[in-house]
Amino acid sequence: MPDTSERANLIEQVRQQLSMVIDPEMGRSVVDMGLIYRIEADRVGDMHISMTTTTKGCPASTFLKEAIRACAASVAGVKSVEVELTYDPPWNPSMMTP
Amino acid sequence: MPGATLSPWTISYFATALVCLVAGLALTISGFGYPSAPIDDPASLVIVHLIAIGWLGLLFAGSLLQFVPVIASRQLQSPHLALPALLLTMIGLLLLLGGFLGLADLVPLWTWTLPAGGLLLTVAFAGLCWMVAGTLVAARPYSLPTKFVALGCVPLIATALVGLVFTLSLSGLTDDPHLVGLVLSAGPAHAYLGLFGWMTITAIGVSYRLLTMFLLSPEKTRGISRAIGWLLAAALVAAGCGIFSDGTGLPADRPLHLAIALSGLASLFYAIDIHSIFRERKRKSVELNVMASLVAIGMLLLCFVLFAASIVIGNPAGMVMPIAHLFTFGWLTGLGLGQLYKIVAFMTWLEFYGPVLGRTAVPRVQDLVNERRASLWFALYFTATATATAVLILDMPDMFRAATFAQLAAVCALSFEFIQARRLAMVPAATRLPSAVAARRLILPSFNGRSR
Repeated sequence: MPDTSERANLIEQVRQQLSMVIDPEMGRSVVDMGLIYRIEADRVGDMHISMTTTTKGCPASTFLKEAIRACAASVAGVKSVEVELTYDPPWNPSMMTP
Repeated sequence: MPGATLSPWTISYFATALVCLVAGLALTISGFGYPSAPIDDPASLVIVHLIAIGWLGLLFAGSLLQFVPVIASRQLQSPHLALPALLLTMIGLLLLLGGFLGLADLVPLWTWTLPAGGLLLTVAFAGLCWMVAGTLVAARPYSLPTKFVALGCVPLIATALVGLVFTLSLSGLTDDPHLVGLVLSAGPAHAYLGLFGWMTITAIGVSYRLLTMFLLSPEKTRGISRAIGWLLAAALVAAGCGIFSDGTGLPADRPLHLAIALSGLASLFYAIDIHSIFRERKRKSVELNVMASLVAIGMLLLCFVLFAASIVIGNPAGMVMPIAHLFTFGWLTGLGLGQLYKIVAFMTWLEFYGPVLGRTAVPRVQDLVNERRASLWFALYFTATATATAVLILDMPDMFRAATFAQLAAVCALSFEFIQARRLAMVPAATRLPSAVAARRLILPSFNGRSR
């Protein structure tokens, strides 16, 4: 059962793993694009990821959501992954890392 | 979940549309129809409808099936109608063209071919409107692109119905003087409703979403955008009044001229609006599809400048065809080819790499195309189109055919680029899928459930 520091470590590992998922249009990772709003882990390794897409209704949204779920699930210590697609707040270009 | 998926038949719509464009240009080069014959000659009408319905109609229909769900953030209504609508359009167009060839004494004329073609086309476009409007109407609150695309459905249905009425008179099924009078005088309004009313208003609406998406520009409704919408709605009312007066036996040019003037003002505002979107973009590198769109918008403006100039010099009748050519091939076709260049690559990426995203290394959408090579074909296309318009003004039909040949060469080269993108031929080796995977689905959807 991971303690707080182990959970923070697990979240960081998931964040790093998500860097291999790219936005197909920009070619940058979903993390650098600012599309990952929140990553949370509970005591047993269940992950909750809150994400968005650059445009509401983006045709890639289903693929991005599934890719993020699969990518996070591949990290050792992650028991299950729930991905929530949200547009609150809507994404804007200032959310990208420079 | 708000989201959209791939429209499985859109690539088939695009492939059929490109075949029609190539056929139309090739016929023109061969000396068939305009400018060797008057524009209202049946031979010319074959080429006009091959381009207007076969090329532009299918291009816009296929694009709408893919992008209306993006605009509405919900699944397309009745997506199973996409294939029947495509087949009905193809059969209806063939019947219509057969009817025109019959009127030109090139094939035996069967009375029923023209009305049957018109009826099938009307049903096909009604089906398209059912899918498009049905999807949009539930997408509250209505965004700016939603309002424009929904407004465009009205002239689409009006164009199809007026065309259907035309076929009744042209085929000799009726000699009602009002309907015969409509054929004689409402042809320009029919063309206006189709090319400007449906296609241009739709293109404006979709561009507000696509350009902001590709340029990473904030999507907001400006006052000038609302003004464009009202001007376009007023222009449609004016054109409708013109058709009504034509049908009552009191033909008048003034309503259509008013519609064109309002459309010109709306186009000017649209260009200003696009300039604002471009200026506020966060993505500094500008891709080829955006550059092609900007050139096309420039040609749209040029159409109205030429129209105004023709009135000033007192020769509007002599300038109608060069302006119509520039509008069809510079604005609508230029924009269409530019967006096809992007959409084909984007849809191909989603189809082949979307399912493996996050599991293996994937290319960017831009890696599916060769922008440097394609930019040469776009330069050739727009130069040829501007030249074709100029030599039409100068009444040089041989030069016009030579310019059309250059247009055809550019379209064939761009079609080759689209096929290369579909075959994943330009993808870096490290991320390339087995060639057989892509080759199986060049223009038809997958039937094994992978392509959604």
